[in-house]
Amino acid sequence: MSSIYFIALPLLFGFATPILAKFGKNGIAYSSILLQVALFVLSLQLFVTMDRSIIEVIAIAPPLGIGFVVNSISLFFVMLFTFFILMASLYYLKLRKLNPYPNEAKFFILINMLLASTIGLVLSSDIFNIYVFFEIAGISAYILSAYRKTPKALEAGLKYLLTGAVASIFLVFAIALLYLHLGTLNLALISQGFTALDSDIKLLISLFLLIGFGLKVEIFPLNFWVTDIYEGSDAFTDALFSAVVVKAYLFVFFHLLYLFLPNKEFTLFLLYLGAVSMLIAEVIALRQNNLKRIFAYSSLGQVGLLFVAFSMQDVISISAGLYILLAHSLAKMVLFLSLASLFEHYKNEDISLLKEMNSPFLRNVIIISMLSLLGIPLLAGFVGKFLLLKTVAFYGLFGLLGLLILSALIESIYYFKIIGLLLIKKETKEQFHPSTLQKFVLLVLTLGVIFVGVAPFAISDFMATSASVMLDTQSYQNLLLGAN
Amino acid sequence: MIESILYYFNQTEVIKTIVTLGSMGLFFVGLFGLLSQRHIIKVFISIGIMEIAVFIFFIGLSFQRGLTAPMLGDAHTTFIQMNDPIPHAMILTAIVIGMAVLALGISFAIEYYKLTGKNRLDEMNEMKN
Repeated sequence: MSSIYFIALPLLFGFATPILAKFGKNGIAYSSILLQVALFVLSLQLFVTMDRSIIEVIAIAPPLGIGFVVNSISLFFVMLFTFFILMASLYYLKLRKLNPYPNEAKFFILINMLLASTIGLVLSSDIFNIYVFFEIAGISAYILSAYRKTPKALEAGLKYLLTGAVASIFLVFAIALLYLHLGTLNLALISQGFTALDSDIKLLISLFLLIGFGLKVEIFPLNFWVTDIYEGSDAFTDALFSAVVVKAYLFVFFHLLYLFLPNKEFTLFLLYLGAVSMLIAEVIALRQNNLKRIFAYSSLGQVGLLFVAFSMQDVISISAGLYILLAHSLAKMVLFLSLASLFEHYKNEDISLLKEMNSPFLRNVIIISMLSLLGIPLLAGFVGKFLLLKTVAFYGLFGLLGLLILSALIESIYYFKIIGLLLIKKETKEQFHPSTLQKFVLLVLTLGVIFVGVAPFAISDFMATSASVMLDTQSYQNLLLGAN
Repeated sequence: MIESILYYFNQTEVIKTIVTLGSMGLFFVGLFGLLSQRHIIKVFISIGIMEIAVFIFFIGLSFQRGLTAPMLGDAHTTFIQMNDPIPHAMILTAIVIGMAVLALGISFAIEYYKLTGKNRLDEMNEMKN
């Protein structure tokens, strides 16, 4: 039953805030962190005690009820999300001394709603619950985006909300078509019945799912406003968007796609969509000046790469995708969190900030995470990219290989530009030191980057199991239908 | 005469055709509004129309003539000859969510208008790099 805690406790936290507020100014903040620590420990405990395949299923008579499936892939995401949101909250504890969010109780409720809904997204085995969590995650993300109520933040929130509302219409449409044709909302039953459907309907449903989730995961033709959203929101919120929210949507999209796949051509289409998405994002990123915008484009590029990895439908490429996803989340967390501190201190968001900043610690962690994103050996990003390129070459898709390498080259141009600016000597300027807690958070994340890069074999078993679980739709069906 | 017309329209196939055509027409009205209008409130109205079209499409097509409401009462003690309640429950949830999102969006738009005096999407240019 423990998987229900991941969703129920963060949501209940909202109702407890009036009581927690009575325990002084820091009551809400500390109890929120306590809750996240508890959930992270719970997920670790599940990880330690699991038997490498399936842990538990909560289901009320499959055709009708609600189901949560904890298998190794969804547990991977649960650990990832609780860890990142915990790290972000710890970092915020010091950030709030400089520039706190107004009305902090609401802010902590939103963070916990984000946690509950992203975990709900990855655990749900019922497509309508997925829709509900999709919307909860969306609404908390819109509010977080517009939280500062400055014109920029409100513009970002409005644009996010408009794209999100359109996305949810297409998702409801897809669900309605599925229900009208199959008469069920259970993923396993849909998956069983889906192959017998007419091929046009299959393609239509998949396209609607692609539009619905594509607007959320920042894939190429649907990502026109994403960089505005990243620029308008706080760097702190961008860290959550990039490391948690987008990853949850991305996983759910591919989870659904594997369960009801229209045909081979559709995955080929996604494969090239991802590659083109990456190339375009990297080319546009070259001309940007705002740091948040640059890293937003780099996020778009990485999402394209993840699309390629997950569309290959091969155990190795999916585990490569999981490595890329982990590396990207770690690196983007470090980058956006350290940018949040730098922006507060220097009041400058342009690339010229890098010339005037003088903070050896932040400089080092930024450089390490950027090198990891580039895929330098012995850092986390290398493992996934290497595995992916190997698989692409193995399948003989050399056009795709060329596209990926070309975009990696373009990516390296602006990354090295930024690293060059960071390495300019600035002894004359006054040094800026982040607080010890912030250093600790960034250090943990950076050590994660280095650990995954140096010892990828330590988690390769787990990644391979997760990848095969994600690909094995038959056992997912059996598990869900035989669970009551 | 009138009776035969009414009888014609009371056939399941005819009703479903009308619902499909009507709701898809409504959907494209909304889509056209979304793509052609630039006033923020009008864009929200278009999104609302698209949403309602999908809801009508789903409810209309899942409705079956001749069945009762899915409630147990004096005369009905088993779940036989009743309409499927799931689409209704789903759409009720979806209506609530959709309304909440639109209300949130309009509150953003009002705040934005108070700060900048702008109410059109193409005038929104806080971020020009």
